[in-house]
Amino acid sequence: MSFEISKEDKKATYVILPAYNEATRIQPVIEEIACKGYNMVIVNDGSSDNTLDVIKQSKKRYPDQIHIFSLMINRGVGVATQTGFDAVFRFNPKYVVSMDSDGQHSADDLDNVIAPLVKGEAQAVIGVRPLKDMPLSRNFANAVMNFLTKMFYRVDVSDSQTGFRAITVEALREIDINARGYLISSEFIREVNDNKIPFAEVPIQTIYTPETQAKGTNVFEAFKILVQMIKHQF
Amino acid sequence: MLLYSILFPIISILAILWFFYRYLKEKQSLITVILWTILWLFVIVFSIFPTFSEKFASLFGITRGLDFIIIVVFLVLFYIIFRLYNRIDILQDEINKIVKEVSLNNEITLDDEEDE
Repeated sequence: MSFEISKEDKKATYVILPAYNEATRIQPVIEEIACKGYNMVIVNDGSSDNTLDVIKQSKKRYPDQIHIFSLMINRGVGVATQTGFDAVFRFNPKYVVSMDSDGQHSADDLDNVIAPLVKGEAQAVIGVRPLKDMPLSRNFANAVMNFLTKMFYRVDVSDSQTGFRAITVEALREIDINARGYLISSEFIREVNDNKIPFAEVPIQTIYTPETQAKGTNVFEAFKILVQMIKHQF
Repeated sequence: MLLYSILFPIISILAILWFFYRYLKEKQSLITVILWTILWLFVIVFSIFPTFSEKFASLFGITRGLDFIIIVVFLVLFYIIFRLYNRIDILQDEINKIVKEVSLNNEITLDDEEDE
């Protein structure tokens, strides 16, 4: 039987959604999370489509659960998530989650990802995508990134590039995230490990569509992350 | 006298003057101006006395003077790229900081829409 998250804990949980050109995909994601009783900090990452308008429409329906911030220009998923992490402190959360806003992650996994934090088993959690569900190219890029994360950051995890992560607010205060792009995934793991924050891996489901596959860590992104990892060694 | 031995010194003198002009306008540090002036002075010397480059090359175990010049040019270009990369990196961080700050100070509320 899965662990039941209380209403109070859900109210004290803020889900950060960085959104770049997600006008056609973000609405169901927001509404699903809102229906489950979680709060959200949505960061529009300088989208050139009407993502911001779509988010505002959702806020009209769930005014108390949604907080919107908007970057005036596109700065990447890392900066958008950092903005969310910085903003969330003003709402006094207990738990902070960040997940993709393109529908790749399921809101049904929120309870499972937060459960180890609520139970006190861990202070940080990463949602691990099953390898069998991953397209081959993504699977290869992910294996390379896991190896690089292990080599450069000395952390061995099953999915270093997951965008689904949860952390307690105390642990969030301890970590320092500076990554601009997709490096944020590896950097989050490095910071958690370096600060000796107990962390857990939780399996999550991933919904792959041609649209969600267009984003994320491809070979080009993996190369960019490698350059940044090397740079961080100095 | 070959064309390059007239053209290169003229370009070099103009470049040195440009660097000093930027220094006077406080757009360039003194050390940068000195380093660039030395480099351009070498260009002048090598253009007027091409055999001079061979003497320099032999100091580094390189036989041809032209090879020495090409290697130096490569090194200088790589250094410039490195400097530019670093500068862009710093600028990116500063832009990120500003964009984040502006966003955090302006939480979007439904009142904003009503005002519009």
